[in-house]
Amino acid sequence: MIAVKNIEKTYNVDGVETQALRGVSFEIQKGEFVAIMGPSGSGKSTLLHVMGFLDRPTAGSYVVLQKRMEELSDDQLAFFRNKEMGFVFQSFNLLSRSSVFENVELPLLYSDVPHGRRRHLVEEAVRAVGLEEKLWVEAGRLSGGQQQRVAIARALVNDPGIIFADEPTGNLDSQSGAQVMSILKTLNKNGKTVILVTHETYTSEFARRLIKLLDGKIEYDGPIMHQRNSSEEFFK
Amino acid sequence: MRFRDSLRTALLGVRHARLRSALTMLGIVIGIASVILLMSLGDSAQKLILGQIKGIGSNLVFVVPGANKSSRFAPPPSVQGIVIKTLTERDLEALRREPSILRAAAEVHGQARAIYLQNDVSVVYGGYPEEFFSIINLEFSKGRAFTKEEVDSFGRVAVMGSNIAKTLFGEMDPIGKSFRLNTISFTVVGILKEKGSGPLGVNYDDLVAVPITVAQKQLLGINYYNASIFMEADSAYNTDYVKSRVTSILRQTHSITDPNKDDFTVRSQEDIVSLLGDITSILTMFLTSIAFISLVVGGIGIMNIMLVSVVERTKEIGLRKAVGATDKDILTQFLWESVILTSAGGIGGILIGGGLVVAIYFALSRFLSTGWVFSLPPNAILLSVAVATFTGVVFGLYPARQASKKSPIEALRYE
Repeated sequence: MIAVKNIEKTYNVDGVETQALRGVSFEIQKGEFVAIMGPSGSGKSTLLHVMGFLDRPTAGSYVVLQKRMEELSDDQLAFFRNKEMGFVFQSFNLLSRSSVFENVELPLLYSDVPHGRRRHLVEEAVRAVGLEEKLWVEAGRLSGGQQQRVAIARALVNDPGIIFADEPTGNLDSQSGAQVMSILKTLNKNGKTVILVTHETYTSEFARRLIKLLDGKIEYDGPIMHQRNSSEEFFK
Repeated sequence: MRFRDSLRTALLGVRHARLRSALTMLGIVIGIASVILLMSLGDSAQKLILGQIKGIGSNLVFVVPGANKSSRFAPPPSVQGIVIKTLTERDLEALRREPSILRAAAEVHGQARAIYLQNDVSVVYGGYPEEFFSIINLEFSKGRAFTKEEVDSFGRVAVMGSNIAKTLFGEMDPIGKSFRLNTISFTVVGILKEKGSGPLGVNYDDLVAVPITVAQKQLLGINYYNASIFMEADSAYNTDYVKSRVTSILRQTHSITDPNKDDFTVRSQEDIVSLLGDITSILTMFLTSIAFISLVVGGIGIMNIMLVSVVERTKEIGLRKAVGATDKDILTQFLWESVILTSAGGIGGILIGGGLVVAIYFALSRFLSTGWVFSLPPNAILLSVAVATFTGVVFGLYPARQASKKSPIEALRYE
């Protein structure tokens, strides 16, 4: 489903070149739950951005759902982000003065979903994250955990195949974080491919596969080694 | 993205920054209101002036002494204080024989001191034949015009404009009272209704009219007409034809063969109407173009705020792109926002400008005796709407392009 091959990404900031990714290759199958970990500056966010069609690699090839990224125009990338990908960010990125409904509806505005169906889709997505009571509340008035759940509903509303989560629990207390993680786990159980970037070991344990990056290269790619009791500690 | 969603998104954007949107609109509101106001007032002034000229009668043709080659905007030489003695009774008689002319009469003008008891004022007087009042359509509020007999017999009678009568006689009834122009004594026989300025710059409200015989021979002591010969043309003839007839008659009586040596100027009422119409139009255009400057300033204000807004909403732009907005979607959204701001500003400006026009109409028609004409030209409104929308597009395009060019990832990273 996802095939990353020899991806490189070089940033040029004020004439200084920084290599964020130095030849990364792996494949991800449909329905996987993958955690990408690594210290800050290891390139994990850059990798997620490339996989989420938000940024183009400097070199290498990236194929997702039989589409080669280098062959797609910017508008086509926008189209696939809208249809096939959902994003959850560390800082929620909600329109704080708009209602929960309007926030979740956002991806539908940029797709050709007819008006009549939108309400149904939004309500379904909001129900999936347990916020149906808050449908008309301004997003900025919600707690952090609730805001992140709105963001997940927004990521879900167009029924994409892949969910990208970039440090989704980074700004949350442990209880809200656990709630968010369990929603992601449920989504994965229901068939969505979930790709999670995190630096918290206990969060990564919700995944079944771990890709560890160091200095823009893969250091480890394999099953999660469960540390005993850490999950239970997290839930305390 | 559908049109409806695009518009709704932009409306939300404007609504979420209410105070800022309102202040931004203010520039456009003021600009459009001044355009509306100046165009309307200019139009009203034009209608008022032209209405007054048309009100003095119809099919009038004037001959004034002295040539006027330079331009139609130049005043005749007599106005500049140059004495030209070429218009005489011979000319008047010749013109009276012309079949396309119904009536012809001459006038002289002069300045004198008017004295009644202790009141002593400087006045402009005119010497006229008896038919003057009917040709110029002057009406009387009191008394009568002087008669042919009075004109022929050097009768010392006078007709006065309303202003000068008040100045000289105060609250007294002037009819039958005697006053002096310089040393000659006149009896007031009639008072004119208020009328305002005439086509040759004479303000009839301030005029003292006496028989032409007395004015020409006794007050001025001249044997020519220093002001004009005025004629009522037969409406069956085209004015230009009548003008050309008058010209050739006068060339004959003055023995002029070279048209460049004409010592008189022929003007019709239509010439004067079009001349004054042009002057007022130019003034209106001039004032309106100043108002447009304020509109441009308003437009720059919009651009300025939109640019700030684009930077401030970098994260929002990134998010929209991440969930599937194309460059065009973002461009349209921001363009709509600025067009909404300018159109709403335009509507506000039309309402405020229109309100001011109505208020000015009521104020002026109460205080201005001549009657202010209400005018709110539809083309001023159409122009304002078009210009406001155009301003929105022009000044919104650059910020909208800046917004659409943001890469989703740069935008999401922005804090």
